[in-house]
Amino acid sequence: HAPEDLSDLLQNVKFQSSNFENILTWESGPEGTPDTVYSIEYKTYGESDWVAKKGCQRITRKFCNLTVETGNFTELYYARVTAVSAGGWTATKMTDRFSALQHTTLKPPDVTCIPKVRSIQMIVHPTPTPIRAGDGHRLTLEEIFQDLSYRLELQVNHTYQMRLEGKQREYEFFGLTPDTEFLGTITVFVTTWFKESAPYVCRVKTLPDRTWT
Amino acid sequence: QFGPCQVKGVLPQKLWEAFWAVKDTMQAQDNITSVRLLRQEVLQNVSAAESCYLVHTLLEFYLKTVFKNYHDRTVEVRTLKSFSTLANNFVLIVSQLQPSQENEMFAIRDSAHRRFLLFRRAFKQLDMEAALTKALGEVDVLLTWMQKFYKF
Repeated sequence: HAPEDLSDLLQNVKFQSSNFENILTWESGPEGTPDTVYSIEYKTYGESDWVAKKGCQRITRKFCNLTVETGNFTELYYARVTAVSAGGWTATKMTDRFSALQHTTLKPPDVTCIPKVRSIQMIVHPTPTPIRAGDGHRLTLEEIFQDLSYRLELQVNHTYQMRLEGKQREYEFFGLTPDTEFLGTITVFVTTWFKESAPYVCRVKTLPDRTWT
Repeated sequence: QFGPCQVKGVLPQKLWEAFWAVKDTMQAQDNITSVRLLRQEVLQNVSAAESCYLVHTLLEFYLKTVFKNYHDRTVEVRTLKSFSTLANNFVLIVSQLQPSQENEMFAIRDSAHRRFLLFRRAFKQLDMEAALTKALGEVDVLLTWMQKFYKF
């Protein structure tokens, strides 16, 4: 029998973006069956033509990576999915207007936590994105967001927490007790775009103090 | 900091929150996906000196044409509230901008004006309803561009 309306075959067509990796996802509706096939097109807002995404034509999976095709973060994009059921019914649904700058979320940073006797050093590594600059190098989050900063917190005990914040990459918490375990959490945040990552967490133990006393 | 022009007391977060509250509604009503009013030719590679003139004319257009006509046409309270917040902040910005009228700035002023005409021509090519909806749905494009000139 015929699907009542579009959402019987196809639902929730949207972009999911994290560190500028832009994945189109969707769900099949109640009428969707495992052999329903999906074809994806995308376009830049302001242009007329839809472009078929190679590699995402008549697929049965429910996601498609459009990172490259939506890689200019000064542009806005649309994508649409056409579902064709085994019975030949079709349904097409479009995403909302997509802006990677506005929609992308930030992944936890990559950090190296280095314990010493009375301090813990933390080195935040730059976060490459799939976006390429004019000269072909992959832009980092730090290059895209001029005001990107890091917030580092060290839980010393139940009541006391040390905090450092800044744009540089190397930090060190001093004045710690040797041979003691500490919990560090590091987040990335971008004020102008109201973005904050989930924390990177490291549990480290300061080294024993082997100096003669 | 739009080149020589400085603006104080405007919090970008307030503008974004106001827009995001109505973004999906406005952009969903705009089904002309093949037309973008604030195209790259309007906003790309704008020099700091030119930015003061361009932001002034764009915001004035939004106040005198877009918000005004939209206000006359809609009764949807939530939308009106959001666009009032945006409009009030645009008034605050425009009132502080003092684009220089000196002769040697003529070429820069003229370049900004030609960019604005690109935008307005595209706006006028649509019927008023569609043009208003599209212009309001593109406030994020405008805010994104303005944010480049934001100094901490």
